[in-house]
Amino acid sequence: MPSSAALASRLRSIVGADGVVDRPEALLVYECDGYTLERSAPEIVVLPRTPGQVADVVRLLAGAGVAFVPRGAGTGLAGGTLPVAAPVMVCTSRLTAIEQIDVANRRIVAQAGVVNLRITRAVEREGLLYAPDPSSQAACTIGGNVAENSGGPHTLKYGVTANHVLGVELVLPSGEAVVLGGIVEDLPGYDLVGLVVGSEGTLGIVTRATLRLVRAPEAYRTMLAVFDSVDAASEAVSAIVAAGIVPAALEMMDRLILQAVEAAFRAGLPTDAGAVLIVELDGPAAGLDSHEASVSAQCRRHGAREVRVARDDAERALLWRCRKRAFGAVGRLAPNYCTQDGVVPRTRLPDIVREIARVAETYRLRIGNVFHAGDGNIHPILLFDERDPDETRRVIEAGREILEACLALGGSLTGEHGIGVEKIGQMPLAFSPDDLRAMTSLRAVFDPDGRANPHKIFPDAKVCVETRAPRRQAAM
Amino acid sequence: MGAPATEIATRARDAAVRARLQSIVGAERVSLPGEGARVDGVAPRFVVRPRTVDEVRAVLRACSEQNLAIVPTGRGRHLDIGSAPERCDVLLRLEHLASVIDHQPGDMTVTAAAGCTLAALQRVLGRHRQWLPIDPPAPSATTVGGLIAANLSGPLRGSQGTVRDLLIGLEVVAADGTLVRGGGRVVKNVAGFDLPKLHVGALGSLGVVVSATFKVRPQPAAEKALVVPCATLEDGGRIALALRDAADPLWLELVGTVPFASERSRAGDEANDRSRPLTALAAMLSAGEPVAVVAGAGGLAVEVSDAIARFAHAASVRGARGIVVDDAAGLRAALSARWILPGGAVIRISTLPTAVGAAAAAVREAAQAEGTSVTLGAHVASGLLRAAVASEAAVPELVQRLRSRAVELGGHLVVERARAEVKGCLVGATGVWGDPGPGLALMRGVKSALDPSRILSPGRLPGGI
Repeated sequence: MPSSAALASRLRSIVGADGVVDRPEALLVYECDGYTLERSAPEIVVLPRTPGQVADVVRLLAGAGVAFVPRGAGTGLAGGTLPVAAPVMVCTSRLTAIEQIDVANRRIVAQAGVVNLRITRAVEREGLLYAPDPSSQAACTIGGNVAENSGGPHTLKYGVTANHVLGVELVLPSGEAVVLGGIVEDLPGYDLVGLVVGSEGTLGIVTRATLRLVRAPEAYRTMLAVFDSVDAASEAVSAIVAAGIVPAALEMMDRLILQAVEAAFRAGLPTDAGAVLIVELDGPAAGLDSHEASVSAQCRRHGAREVRVARDDAERALLWRCRKRAFGAVGRLAPNYCTQDGVVPRTRLPDIVREIARVAETYRLRIGNVFHAGDGNIHPILLFDERDPDETRRVIEAGREILEACLALGGSLTGEHGIGVEKIGQMPLAFSPDDLRAMTSLRAVFDPDGRANPHKIFPDAKVCVETRAPRRQAAM
Repeated sequence: MGAPATEIATRARDAAVRARLQSIVGAERVSLPGEGARVDGVAPRFVVRPRTVDEVRAVLRACSEQNLAIVPTGRGRHLDIGSAPERCDVLLRLEHLASVIDHQPGDMTVTAAAGCTLAALQRVLGRHRQWLPIDPPAPSATTVGGLIAANLSGPLRGSQGTVRDLLIGLEVVAADGTLVRGGGRVVKNVAGFDLPKLHVGALGSLGVVVSATFKVRPQPAAEKALVVPCATLEDGGRIALALRDAADPLWLELVGTVPFASERSRAGDEANDRSRPLTALAAMLSAGEPVAVVAGAGGLAVEVSDAIARFAHAASVRGARGIVVDDAAGLRAALSARWILPGGAVIRISTLPTAVGAAAAAVREAAQAEGTSVTLGAHVASGLLRAAVASEAAVPELVQRLRSRAVELGGHLVVERARAEVKGCLVGATGVWGDPGPGLALMRGVKSALDPSRILSPGRLPGGI
């Protein structure tokens, strides 16, 4: 392996002087993503401007035998972009071109660094939108969304990123660029696009993607239902779904979150409520009255003390601002917070909520809850102060226990954030050695030397030693 | 006297293999292949019908040890998809793994064994007014495993997506007999690689699917459709997109010629009682240029009538007149069933929605030049066009003409179904699948990672995979 300085200089010859960061103080920005419990700065950050430059950079790294971490905007919450034995970080954030918009065929070709929300902004005049809408959509990039198979509140009706990607250009760890999928459906052979989406950068770097667009709904009905308890709200969720209604979104916030959000946005949320549901119906105007009446009836039957309907776009936007910025608002409650991501079958929401309450008590922690309730996708927010090492340790253990409870209820370790480094230790609880072997053998097809985002997703002996205590202590 | 030594050796080996298979599944579940058991002309040595996942695993272990090639199937209804296997020792019929394992109406998920038919699955879901919104031909002869392996779909795909969009978990027996799970039973899950998607359309070449979990949807309370007769295929393509933009339909078909009476009477399976809606449809069209766009609407009655009114308005703006069909589900099923008519071959062209009309016209023109009649149909919103070619002799020439044209239109052509003899006559090295594109090397890698000895459906996928 060449020296760091020599490598940086060769990278500069590809991307220019302003495309390489290697001063230690400048590298600090890149030492973690949205998962802040562990930190580790790369030696070099390289910021190519074109898909071709990405391929050139990766080919250079291949020749030098250097491992790399791909990164978009760094909004991930599972440490997927934390460098672990990977000296070089390749950021796709400067690949910002929207290359093609095809309104009639409802497709768009975007480079990896295009911010999620920009896609919808680019086509909303045409009455279209890009459906996956993670809470970080104003910052997160399409490349990151593809790597993580991102979701968002509206996946209940519209599906996740994988349902909206027709094709990708992938730079393999060898530096070879290969186009997978395409602009049409049902191409022959294996669904490699389906494999690449959600592979967390372990198969290479996606530089551009062909995405599906959907018609923007003609009308919305956004409702706020107020409950005395999380249990009652959870039961209303199941009842709405069982009644045959598929809302565009079905979200829950508990009291702790409500109080934080209300303090931040003064949206008139009931801070004495046990939980609220945000239910959004969308589609043709014709059916909305009837669906609204059904949702309202189900909520009241399960104890809603109040059901409000947003009167206009401004009220709707305010509700969504509260929901999507709930994580940030929690910053008022404690110096630090850790957002967990787990999934249970949606009928088991009351069980996991009780389990979270028990865990909070056992570990003496404050835990708030924001759920994509309609999908059974929970986001407990664990509050702590990183200056308190014991509390930090309890946060990590409580998070693990919640995830293990999700598995015990027939759920999953992650609904939309990914495994990253955070959940690597729990993969053996979710998958058998045979399952994991199948996955790692596929990884070797794309990345035989293990240089693309090494030590992510799949547990190996080396990394277990590393992530247990030492680095976490270093983070405190 | 007596047979040559090699034949005796073969017989002895066959007897040993048969005894081993019988010891796993029982004597009565290992049989010699009957007339209909060929896979693209290749006769398997044995047909094996396991009843449990453990039996499937033991069969695969045995085959793996003895390097026997396996082609998994459900009820054998869709074995005419794909290219001929390099070899086939065991045709593994999974029809006896037929249970609906777990339906959770409140979770809107269902888990079913691979041999469960789609029709049986829909009956269970229907009790709770739910469905798996996938409507391929022959639902009572189509199994869950076949649905996945052959990536089957029907008109509903335009709004509901395909198997890859609805499949959330899979249990697969790998080539060496190990059981591998991917995904799970929750609707949102990004833990580890998305293994289930790799098995969609893989024709059993990466593992034998033994059970699958899907997300399901509420059934629409009402369905109706609007039939809009059109002057030409190109007009049909344009009008279809206008209808799509007026109100996203539940399904949207371009129909060019419906089957002739003689073809209908030859049709097997469910096609006979399903042909009535087609007869009614044919009567709505002009004999000269029998082209129509059919837009289906589903949902609450009020939503359905709103959508139908919008379709009708969009058609009238373009000088076309619509006819409302009440039995829309029946018509949808009948349109889907057209693509497994016996005889002839089915060509499938993937293209952009805006190119469907032009592609259909190109197919008709080429068919006329070859002197064969074709039945045309397209899932317009998905950009998927099919042509059932009446004359098998015309297929190779037609494919050669149309393949490059499809690529010019940004698409791809495959021969979806045909008899082995027809597939054997295809010109050029790329056969039924065409050029699978730049991903081929990786696809080969995936195959050798999961089936290094090439015992699972070898040769049935593009590029000889």
